[in-house]
Amino acid sequence: MRTIIGSLCACLVFISSGANAAEKGLAIKGVRYFSYSGFTRIVFEAEEAAPYVLTKPGDGRTLHFSSYGGPFTVKVTQLPPINDGVVKGMELSQDGEHRSILITLGPAAGDTKDFVLRGPDRIVVDVLRGTAIAPSPEAPGAKAPVIVLDPGHGGAETGIVTGQGVEKALMLELALTIKRILRKSGTRMTVVLTREQDQAATHDERAALANTSGAFLFVSLHAAQGSAGRVFILDPDEGQSSPSAGRPSDFLGFDAVSEQQQMLWGTQQAGHSQESGRLGRNIARALAGREGTEPAQAPLAQLKAVDAAAVLIEAGTAMSRVKAAEAIAQGIEQYVREKR
Amino acid sequence: MTIMALVLIVAGGGGYLWFRMAGGPQAVSSVQQEAQTTAPAARPDEPFMATLFVPADGALGNVIVAVKRHPELQLQAREVVAALFAADQGKRASVVNELRLRALYLDASWTVTVDLSAASPNQKEIRASAEDELLAVYALVNTLTQNFPEVRQVRLLMDGRVTQTLAGHIDLSRAYVKRTDLVKNQ
Ligand SMILES: [Zn+2]
Repeated sequence: MRTIIGSLCACLVFISSGANAAEKGLAIKGVRYFSYSGFTRIVFEAEEAAPYVLTKPGDGRTLHFSSYGGPFTVKVTQLPPINDGVVKGMELSQDGEHRSILITLGPAAGDTKDFVLRGPDRIVVDVLRGTAIAPSPEAPGAKAPVIVLDPGHGGAETGIVTGQGVEKALMLELALTIKRILRKSGTRMTVVLTREQDQAATHDERAALANTSGAFLFVSLHAAQGSAGRVFILDPDEGQSSPSAGRPSDFLGFDAVSEQQQMLWGTQQAGHSQESGRLGRNIARALAGREGTEPAQAPLAQLKAVDAAAVLIEAGTAMSRVKAAEAIAQGIEQYVREKR
Repeated sequence: MTIMALVLIVAGGGGYLWFRMAGGPQAVSSVQQEAQTTAPAARPDEPFMATLFVPADGALGNVIVAVKRHPELQLQAREVVAALFAADQGKRASVVNELRLRALYLDASWTVTVDLSAASPNQKEIRASAEDELLAVYALVNTLTQNFPEVRQVRLLMDGRVTQTLAGHIDLSRAYVKRTDLVKNQ
């Protein structure tokens, strides 16, 4: 699969930017990392998208990141000091003419996934925690469904400001409460958050996290004024528009689930409309406390690239947060039980 | 294990490029001028009766107002959108109140591009719920497509650039057509 994709993209890059694209090399202007419960994400900010190579030599304890042809320039004075058990550290390495960034893996490191995001151009390397989605002892071979909770906004993007606090903080608290409730439930689930602290993440990064975690479902949590809870699913028109009506495909996932996903970033949700509707209905009815409530449709930026059943919830800030968390958890659990 | 990734460099944001080349509201290309020849025919002193879709109570209500008539569709559309921004003042806090119209363009494919900006220059973030943001987007889209049947779709920019969302929820990377289910029956 990788060989096929590699060849296809080599062809595309030469068509679009000339035969010497690789010889220009790769310049890295920033390096960031995020430690999540299931994996560590290293983000290389590139000055301009360019071919790269990521290798894992024989002992499997290091990764080497460099340009594919052309010079490899690192315009960062200091690489961030990671040591979270999954990644032990990062340093610049020079072997003769060959320069690379050496990533030393920690004892908890498992598989590695890498992909590219555009605008700004980034190369993302996810090192999975070896035990992150391991089969549970009571059900050998069967994976617990991965529930991705996405607390909206974060970092400089606060979301709405209410008498109860700012949206980014309220939604992180709500996500953590839902996670606690789901963990105590009798249904086996692995709960992953797209952020566990006050940090910025783009919609693409959140969707990529869900997709690389093998999400069974994705719930984005947002706030609204008032005492009502609303559930949205993606407008079915989203992702079906012609390329001229939307952004060009800007994502190439080299270790993702399907070839279609790799080539059509931003349209993944189109294949999950029915399941998202079912999940949305369960949560909307649990929140409203009555049958017949339906989710609304909206062209939501955070859902279009999620390759799983996905909804966005707006919890009224005047609602009891515990009751809102219980209702959302109930809707999620009911959906998981129906599907497993 | 060797993973080799090659990145496709795509010339993105065609609309933005066109916008930059157009150089602002005064620059109108020949194809735009061609599109503008079908502006509504009426006496020049007669007002243009515009139907505005204004966000209110979780839906779009419609209001009919008289605005100044212009000979060209692009100018008329700009006048109608300016009236929409004015009409929304005094309603409950909606996203429209946090925005101002920077420019509006019509291209040869009958796509209207509405260039918005934060109402206050000090405002770093437009803050709104997903529902309010949805209503703000469709207030503009429905107002333009209702008053100008020639308009096929509407695209929104912020500060002259293609942006992912206005307030963190609604996808602005695509163009929009009219949506009637958000309109409240009056
Ligand atoms: Zn929000």
